[in-house]
Amino acid sequence: MTDKVRSPDQDSPANSIKTDRRTVMKGAVAASIAAGVALPTYLRDFNFTQTVRAQTAGTIKLGFIEDESGNLAVYGLQKLHAAQLAVKEINEGKTLKGAPNIGAGFVGAMGQVANNPPVISKEGTNLDVVDDGGVKERVDLVYDEDDEVLIDSGEIGVLGRELQFVSADGQSNNSVWQQLARRMIQEDKVDVLVAGFASAEREAIRPIVDQFKQLYFYTNQYEGGVADANTFCTGPVCEQQVIPTVQYMVEKFGPRAYTIAADYNFGQLTAAWTRAYIPLVGGEIIGEEFIPLSVSEFSQVIARIQQASPDWVMTLLVGQNHHNYYPQAAAAGLRLPMASTVNMAQGYEHKRFQPPSLANMHNAIQYQLEVPSARNRAFVKRWMAMFPEDQYIGEMAQNTYFTIHLYAKAARLAGTTDQETVKKCLELGWNIEAPEGSVFLEPGTHHCAHPIRLAVADENHNVKFVRDWPMIQAWWLQRLGVNLVRTPEFKQYTPDEDPYFAMFGKKKT
Amino acid sequence: MPSPNHQEPAARYMDNVAIALSVLYQFGTNGAFLLLSALGLIVILGMMNIINLAHGELMMMGAYVATTAVQRGVPFPLAVLVAFIAIAIFGAIFERLVVRRFYGRELGALVVTWGISLILSQGSLLVFGPFMPSIQIPGGSISVGLYSFSEYWLALITVAIVVVFGLWWLYNHTTFGLQARATMQNAAMARALGVNTDRVYMLTFSLGAGLAGFSGALLAPTTSIMPFMGQQFVAPAFITVVVGGATNVITGALGSSILLSLVRTPIGFLFGSFLGLVALLLAALIIIRLMPDGISAWLQRYLDRWSRIRISA
Repeated sequence: MTDKVRSPDQDSPANSIKTDRRTVMKGAVAASIAAGVALPTYLRDFNFTQTVRAQTAGTIKLGFIEDESGNLAVYGLQKLHAAQLAVKEINEGKTLKGAPNIGAGFVGAMGQVANNPPVISKEGTNLDVVDDGGVKERVDLVYDEDDEVLIDSGEIGVLGRELQFVSADGQSNNSVWQQLARRMIQEDKVDVLVAGFASAEREAIRPIVDQFKQLYFYTNQYEGGVADANTFCTGPVCEQQVIPTVQYMVEKFGPRAYTIAADYNFGQLTAAWTRAYIPLVGGEIIGEEFIPLSVSEFSQVIARIQQASPDWVMTLLVGQNHHNYYPQAAAAGLRLPMASTVNMAQGYEHKRFQPPSLANMHNAIQYQLEVPSARNRAFVKRWMAMFPEDQYIGEMAQNTYFTIHLYAKAARLAGTTDQETVKKCLELGWNIEAPEGSVFLEPGTHHCAHPIRLAVADENHNVKFVRDWPMIQAWWLQRLGVNLVRTPEFKQYTPDEDPYFAMFGKKKT
Repeated sequence: MPSPNHQEPAARYMDNVAIALSVLYQFGTNGAFLLLSALGLIVILGMMNIINLAHGELMMMGAYVATTAVQRGVPFPLAVLVAFIAIAIFGAIFERLVVRRFYGRELGALVVTWGISLILSQGSLLVFGPFMPSIQIPGGSISVGLYSFSEYWLALITVAIVVVFGLWWLYNHTTFGLQARATMQNAAMARALGVNTDRVYMLTFSLGAGLAGFSGALLAPTTSIMPFMGQQFVAPAFITVVVGGATNVITGALGSSILLSLVRTPIGFLFGSFLGLVALLLAALIIIRLMPDGISAWLQRYLDRWSRIRISA
């Protein structure tokens, strides 16, 4: 494959000089310091010059770890396919629209909208049947979106080099994850690492990532708070999901909520967010239960919820064992409204279980297969052409897809795969047109602003979107004063460290 | 006009009845879950002393067979029967080809069944993909006061007890049972007395595998149908059988599932499933420490002493 790759700089004199990786890196750093004098401040530490493009020899290595077996395989396989699709597109000379320094890019316009949100039919992956939401007469502010976001990149691969996909199976086991991360970084010497489903897995490998200053993308939605100069988190976080969901649920179903959550950092912290935020909208948590990942039989959890009789249930359940909760609760006659930040959009429980197990489930997500936009339909079509057997595309699969495209774009602009330079380049404030909509990578916190939609499953497990926020920022780390461009940090903040929640989150007596 | 004070005791009484029923139901489901998980292992580990790490995968296959059958329009009870027969046949082949080479070599059997379990789960991931749409839980729910109970779980509790009783009957009241017990106790002597021990081994293993498939099929509507779904049953199954002990496997498994869910249910109900699980594991630890040969050995000794006392009296 390498010999077929077209070099963009055949004439460049530097091309003939055979250099090893280290020399090139030194050159890159030297060139960037030199270039920095002339460039504006935010561009200082990396260079646009063509000198380092000499590195055409060999491939660019994309390290990728996901769980292809074990308790979390249901998520890992979607992410694997997403990565394979993105790598294939990049190597075929495609890229997603987007550029740095544009910010969140919608054109607001007055347009006619229907009263109801459009609905995709039960046929699921066959996206032909879409109802348009009724007669369009209400005039509203709508945002202008491109119908097709995949365009030609003008080169094969990245910087004329093929993007090589180095993938490994984390086996849903944190210690395997650590071994694999070490192997990828030290032996394979990957140029970029895209990995991590569960927060426990991310926290298991993050110290290794930091030890080697590895450029690392975590593509999952998660509990938020990671402020790490080497890590870019491209999934949505609690302030983008929990707050819209909780607000809607308290408004619609009542103030008394019961949380059941997976017993590890994700579940604990997301439950803490719910607990901290719900008093601000007049609700309260009347019960909370953390469930070990090995539990798969839920009669006791169901009885405890019935005893508390809440208005609605926050379910933050992770893994195949926990998903059994839904059919078991439905069979035991527990039919309360449910909210979540993970279920349905990730584990597609509404496709896997018979209705009405997931009836009345609410989740504020940035993406799930049913998102009714033209660009999403085009994305789903491309995906299904490559993986016709697949049943669903979840939110973290879409994140993985646009993240790899984002890396390719950043490396192209940086003109090198030198990791420090690419990191600096990613800190320019990127806007990328993903299947979900326009995504903005905020430089200071390394988190993304996403369009958020509130998805609801009905009695027959059809998904509707009942509210739509064109852009919600990941603002919490900004409030805490995190700015990774100025002050590199390597930690994860928790809601307890935010004095505001303690101030306003107290129970009114 | 009755004052609220008059109604209160009646209402409180109803509440108490509802709580009592709910706790009883939770106790039943906890116990039935342990017992169903252990069903195949009772025979294979308890009687044949084969540490069968592919137990979970046998249950997974049972669930896959039953789910596929139901999706093809077969009624659920028939699908469970189909799963039992299919996995029993698979078990017989598995025993002929692999397991019989490892009789008397416990560690060899452990490693080989573990290898088979990896092949089975990864193989079904390759063939069937990461999941299969599950089937509806049969039956509705009954509600009492605040609580409601799944009819299907009530049925499962009954089935678990009936099957264990059937197993006990098979091993104590039939010729096959007698021959099987003789073979497990002293194979050479049994052979000398004309028992076809090869056949007994094969049938026993096949029965154990079939029972694993049977309980996998029964539990299928309550779980996600996935290649690695078997893992959730392995730990409860081994805990139940080991705590039960090998002296009398069937009463042992029954006793241990009752005792363990007796510990787990109140603690899980009052303090949540995390502490419920902790209590279950602690109880298992303490029981094994106090009764190294399991509950059944302790029961047996107690019964022996009691009969001796009765004889001497």
